[in-house]
This record gives sequence, C-alpha cells and structure tokens, in this order.
Amino acid sequence: MEYAASIFILIGLFVILAASFNLILGYSGLMSIAHPIFFGLGAYTSSLSVMYFHIPVIAGILLGIIVAFLFSIALSLPALRISGDYLVIASMGFQLGVLQIIRNLDWTGGAGGVTGITPLFDEIARTSVLSYVALVFVAAAATVALVAWIVTGDYGKAIAAMRDDEDAFKALGRNAVTMKIVLFGIGSACAGFAGGLYAHYFLFISPDQFDLLYSAGILTMVVVGGMGTIMGPVVGAVLLQVMPQALSFLRLPAAITGPTQGIMFTGLVLIFLFLKPNGVLGKAPPRKTDDGDDDDLASVNTSPVVGKR
Amino acid sequence: MTPVLEIAGLRKQFGGIVVANDVNLAIKKDEVVGLIGPNGAGKTSLFNIVSGLIPHDAGTVILNGQPIERLSMHARARLGLTRTWQNIRLFPSLSVLDNLIVAPRYYPGESILRAAFSPGRLRDQRKKITERAYNQLEKVRLVDAATRFPTELSYGKQKLVSIARALMNDGDCLLLDEPIAGVEGAAYEALKNVIRSEAKLGRAICIVEHNISFVRDLCDRVLFMFNGKILNSGTMDELMARDDLAGLYFGSET
Repeated sequence: MEYAASIFILIGLFVILAASFNLILGYSGLMSIAHPIFFGLGAYTSSLSVMYFHIPVIAGILLGIIVAFLFSIALSLPALRISGDYLVIASMGFQLGVLQIIRNLDWTGGAGGVTGITPLFDEIARTSVLSYVALVFVAAAATVALVAWIVTGDYGKAIAAMRDDEDAFKALGRNAVTMKIVLFGIGSACAGFAGGLYAHYFLFISPDQFDLLYSAGILTMVVVGGMGTIMGPVVGAVLLQVMPQALSFLRLPAAITGPTQGIMFTGLVLIFLFLKPNGVLGKAPPRKTDDGDDDDLASVNTSPVVGKR
Repeated sequence: MTPVLEIAGLRKQFGGIVVANDVNLAIKKDEVVGLIGPNGAGKTSLFNIVSGLIPHDAGTVILNGQPIERLSMHARARLGLTRTWQNIRLFPSLSVLDNLIVAPRYYPGESILRAAFSPGRLRDQRKKITERAYNQLEKVRLVDAATRFPTELSYGKQKLVSIARALMNDGDCLLLDEPIAGVEGAAYEALKNVIRSEAKLGRAICIVEHNISFVRDLCDRVLFMFNGKILNSGTMDELMARDDLAGLYFGSET
C-alpha cells in the first residue's frame, strides 16, 4: 500500500517538475537544465525552516516556493542576457555550485543530507497516505492547468512570438527579458513547490537527489512526452516513472535491473531523437521563414533593379 | 521644424570594418527618405544600430528630441521607432492576425499580472487591438489572409504582412528594410500607396531599397551610402546623373 502510494506520489511530483520545466524549455525556449536545483531549494528551505524555526509545514512549503523563485531570479537576471547554448552552461554551473554549497555547510546536513523531517500529516496512517496522494495529484493537475493557462491566450501569443524570433519581438516594443525572467521564475517556483511536497512525505533529502542525473531525467520526460505541448510532460513523467517500476516487478536480480533501467532511459532518448524528435504528443514544428541572417555585410543581396527609367 | 529622427556623428566599427563612419542624417515629418548604396555599404547595419539591435561606438540618435542611443531595442520601439527586416521575420507559429496583435506599442497581454487580475480590461483592449490589426491588413489588402499562417503566404504577401505589423506600432518613425524586394503586381502598387499615405499621416519614413524606380517614385530625398559613409544626397535622378556614384553603385569603373 505504502509502496504503491509512494510511486503515485513520485509520479505526481514528476508531473509537476516536467510540466514546469516544459514551460521554461518547451514554451519559453530557455535552455536551462538547472530545474532539479529549484526542486532541491524548495525541499531544503521547507524542511530546514520547519526544523529550525518550528513554523507550520504549510508555511515551510510556501517559503520553499518563494526561495526557489528568488534563486531563479538570481540565476536569470545575469544569465538571460546570454541565451541559447550558453544558458545551458550557466545553469549547469549554478546547479552544481549551489549543490556544492549545500554539501559543505553544516546546517544543511552536508553531504549526508537532512533526516528527521517533519511530515505534513502527523500520523502515517492509511488515510493520511491516501490524502497525500490526493494532495499531490491536485497539485500536479493545478500545475498543468497553470501552464496551460499561461501558454494560451494573450500572454501565450507573446511567448510564442518571443520563442519564434526574439529580435523581431523586441523590435516591436516587447520586453523579452522581463518575460523570460517571469516565466523562468514561475517554472522554478513550481519546482520549489514539488520540493516541499517531496521533503515532507519522504522525510529524507540529500544533495545527490538534485544532481545532474535528475536534470537528465526531467529533460527526458519532457522530450519523450512532447516539448511544447500541454499534456506531453504528463505522458513523459508517467511513462518514465512507471516503466522502471514495472521492470522491478519482473523480479530480476538487482545486478540486471539497475543497468537495464539505464539502458531503457538512454534507449528511449535515442529512439525518440531519431524517430520522433517532437515526442509522443508533439507536432512537427512550423517551417522558419528565414535563415536568421539579415546583415548587409554577410548576406548576398539582390542586385540593383533598374526599371522604368 | 525639428526632425523626427536625427542621427549625428554615428560611428560603428566591427574589427577593421567601419559600418557607420560619422553618419549624419535627419528625417522630418511627412518625409520619405531613401537610402541606397551597393551591398555592404552599411545600410542595414545603420538600421540595426538605430533600432538598437547592435550597440553603437559613438554619436547620437535622437527621436522626437529625446536621445535614444542608449536605450534597449524594445524601449526605442515604445517611443515610436519601428523597423521591418530585409528577410521579413514574421512569427511562424502565429497566424497573420496574431502576428499583428502582438505588435502594438503597448501590448496588454505582455503582463501576466494583468492577464491574471484584470481579464475584463484586457478583453476590451484586445477588441480594440484586433480592430486595429484588421485596419492595417485592409491597408495592404490582406484581410483574407488573417487566419492563415505566414509560411502559407507568398514571399511578397509576407513582406506586406511584415509592414502591416510594423504599422501596428503607430510610431512616428518607420525604418523599412527592402520593403519591395520580391513584391510584384498589384501588391507593388498597394505598398507604394501605403507608404505614401503613412508619410502623410505625419510619420518620418526611411527606406533601404535596391529597386531604383521604386525609390525614385516614392522618396522625397535619397541618400547614397558607401563604406559606412553617406556620400551624397539629392533626388534619385540627381544622384544617378552623377557618374561617380553610379559607378560605385553598379561596380563599374568610371
């Protein structure tokens, strides 16, 4: 019972992570891979603030959301001036740097992690487990709905235009930098929320749980499910959470199960990249109208037209 | 009358290449100025500097009496300076109508807070903007294409849409980078009329164009640019009558 519940809770949490990461990567086109660090910041802030300041768990989770949001701005303010591939490197550096700080501080539990986290519901009884599953599912549905609301309507049009051609977008008077900071902040705050929910159920967190391996995991979910679609990350998160679990039911020896899961992830990414790069639910991207180069110096212009003289 | 756009002593250098060498230029209200010159003369680069895409090295750019050379690209657009692009650059994932709807100087949908907390006001503004977008499409005779996507349109029609999109800004100064290249037939005449009537609305318009008859028909004044410098100005016929300039333009030795 509890095993099944924790699988469902993990599925729900990864739906939140994948959906919010999809807002950043798929819709906004921001190549950040630091998503797990905001998950981690939410988890650490929430569990440590409850532990040291004895605030209610709910308040801790809210604080975790705020801290994840603020840290995302600390990353995006300097980093979003650069864009594209460089953001991957900047975000990776940010993620590894923050993890390194957490590992080396005493009051964060160091590399060993935090134990004895206060649970959200006092007694771990059947009802509280079920209500936690329900809570996480509602949170996941709310996140998906939030992302859907953001990317449709007037704001969504602006997001699509910004992703299509940022310079043309700016030249119309649109403040792309503010939009990117806002979107990055919202996505990261969602990850912080998931972190709080994670910490107060599993009651143990360590820096290793927010490492680059999880960046790859969430990225795989978004890519396999379908980047830039509402339900894609949901499909991806469910698929990539259920498949390893299904494998463990086959009762293979651990020496086989572990590597097989790795092969499965890698294989899925390769298969999707080659056969269906837009994911399970993705549509083919629209053709670009230009080759992105408009400089007089670099491009070959039409020669002077002389007519009707 | 103070000019709408005034450029003084503008300079920009990429390594050893000077793309803008002490450029001085003023465009008044109601005026259509042509900017011609051979490939690589720095015409598009001048647009890029003035619109804020690339930073300048020295000099001033003044729009309606306000220095704008240190402002970001979007801030310049909000003050009423818009441009089009040589290679069109419509947003391929938005319909033609939506390409125009995201283009006014102030787009209320840009603020997520407003979208969340005052959806009613947003709805009213959206209605007005949609109406204006249809008006601009009417000007370039593309109302029929409103729901289609840019890539479904011919090159010439895409050009017209991009000009309609720039007109959504309702700005005082319009920089058009090769507006007529690839546009033919009825659309050609339509575009000429649009530019002329937009100038009559009190805008200052600058056009980079290789189509000499188009420039001659439309522009009140033509500037000849070469190696980042404005060499001469006058009417098209005056400039073309000068053998030295024609030689530079067409590449023949004189």
